[in-house]
Amino acid sequence: MNIIEVNKLLKTYPKPENKKEFFSAVDGISFNIKEGEIYGILGPNGAGKTSTLEMLEGLNDIDGGSASIDGLDVSTDPFQVKQIIGVQLQSNEYFDRINLSELLILFGKLYSQKTDPLELLGKVDLLDKSKAKPDELSGGQKQRFSIACALVNNPKVLFLDEPTTGLDPQAKRNLWNLVRELNDAGMTIVLTTHNMEEAEYLCNRIAIMDKGKLIAEDTPQKLIMKHASVPPKAPLHGNIEDVFLALTGHELRD
Amino acid sequence: MFTNSQLHLAKVFLLIFLRDRQSILFSLFFPMIFMGAFSFSGGEPDPINLGLVNNSNSTASKNFSDLVIADPLFNVTKGEENELKEQLVLGDQTAIIVIPKDFDSLEDSSVLRLLLDASQVRQQAVIKEVLNSSLLSIDQELRDFKPLFTLKIEDVKARPQRYIDFLLPGLLAFMLMNLCLAGSGFNVVEYRRRGILKRLFVTPILPKDFIISIVIARMAIILMQISVVLGLATLLLDINIVGNFLSLYGMIILGTFIFLCIGFWLGSVAKTQEAIRPVVGLITFPQLILSGVFFPISSMPELIQPLAHALPLSVIVTGLRAVANDGASLFALNSTTLGIGCWMILSFILATRYFVWKDVAN
Repeated sequence: MNIIEVNKLLKTYPKPENKKEFFSAVDGISFNIKEGEIYGILGPNGAGKTSTLEMLEGLNDIDGGSASIDGLDVSTDPFQVKQIIGVQLQSNEYFDRINLSELLILFGKLYSQKTDPLELLGKVDLLDKSKAKPDELSGGQKQRFSIACALVNNPKVLFLDEPTTGLDPQAKRNLWNLVRELNDAGMTIVLTTHNMEEAEYLCNRIAIMDKGKLIAEDTPQKLIMKHASVPPKAPLHGNIEDVFLALTGHELRD
Repeated sequence: MFTNSQLHLAKVFLLIFLRDRQSILFSLFFPMIFMGAFSFSGGEPDPINLGLVNNSNSTASKNFSDLVIADPLFNVTKGEENELKEQLVLGDQTAIIVIPKDFDSLEDSSVLRLLLDASQVRQQAVIKEVLNSSLLSIDQELRDFKPLFTLKIEDVKARPQRYIDFLLPGLLAFMLMNLCLAGSGFNVVEYRRRGILKRLFVTPILPKDFIISIVIARMAIILMQISVVLGLATLLLDINIVGNFLSLYGMIILGTFIFLCIGFWLGSVAKTQEAIRPVVGLITFPQLILSGVFFPISSMPELIQPLAHALPLSVIVTGLRAVANDGASLFALNSTTLGIGCWMILSFILATRYFVWKDVAN
């Protein structure tokens, strides 16, 4: 069953060099996401990934086409949609002088819900940081905390925008495990990434975007068979990341 | 009246403020420093340093010197002309009065020389005034005249009114304006820049929930800060609030509403943190000077008085002063309450018309 249906979605912005002309950041794309899937949107910078997510999340106006989540139209029912989704944004800054527990309780209240901050922090392995302020966290901890914030309303769909950008290999693997766990528990996950390995490792299906258009969509395996069936050269050994992890271990460092 | 999420968000805004000890201290520091300084001087100008050269040996000249010395306006140093001139150049003396040898000659009118430092022209009028009146009384004494008129000054309000009583409402209003502008416009721009607004609008709250929360939190902060300053002023400086506190606090709440609206408007006009500083400066500095915080608007050039009276800070200063000094009521219909009403409508229109939500979130 499709939980997300996107049909000819369009987003236009004025051109930076000439404000009177418009260009399409998202150019009439269509795709469906099944319940319980991990769906990855890949593409170079400026491909339209974040614009697509922001329209689905109700943060940005839809200029054309339609999108629905769990049967709710995003442009007519944005507030009902917001009730059932969780969002992790690229920027993860929070109010100063407010600690993690207090922030989680606040986000819960914004959904008119009671929150157990310790349970959520336990889920993302930050139990000992409940009294810390967000700016005292490392990059990986910040990302895990922003996922905890996205989970306060126990969402049906979780959106992750480049969740592992800037993380060290340990933190990255740790976050992948977290995403897997959430998905195993039944959550549908939509993520954007630049990291091909991440897409291959995590996603059931991948959409590749370029210049606002969706140029390919399938399972990682099928995409590989179709577009890169002959490996350039069989690797004789692991890569430098494997070396790094072999030497420094898989244990988290923050 | 308010939803749970609005109240909780307001509580968080309040916590953010209360945990920022430094900013609390600084926002109390400014009005306290001013009040402290003015309460010590009592609003009276410092005595003018006056050098006195007496070249005459007559009784009249002695009487004249005694009169000048006795005047609290002057801090008199007696000496030789050359020596005092040097002090005048150095700035130790503001003026020198030279009594000529033939001071008590009844036949001719004698000329007293007043040497002034050109940079002190502001005090020239005062010095001349006092010297003239002292000379007049000496004159009468010498000629054995009885004065025909004397002047007795009575306060028409028939109650003690010190400069500090005049100053306090002005300072409260100025403090209120700063707290409002810092709490609305600055916050919106800062939260937008850091992506915090976007994070909030991922959740199903409405933009109006966010605004209402800020307004509740700021209202609480301002009432607390103003009560602290007012309390300290009443306790330490023996300030006398003539009107009732309901009117005073009502006026403060209406002022807070006006300046929060103006702050939200500025926050949407200025898109960046760099832009909002000069924009807020442009609004606050002219008002600090023109709105009668430190001296009454009626002492300003006539040309700018109508403009000065129309400023939002002026209506609040005038309103607070009317309550605190003259016991006016907030509920009386007069030009001040009318001005407050007009600014409430105007600022609300500015705030709601220009506050573009999608821009705020993105």
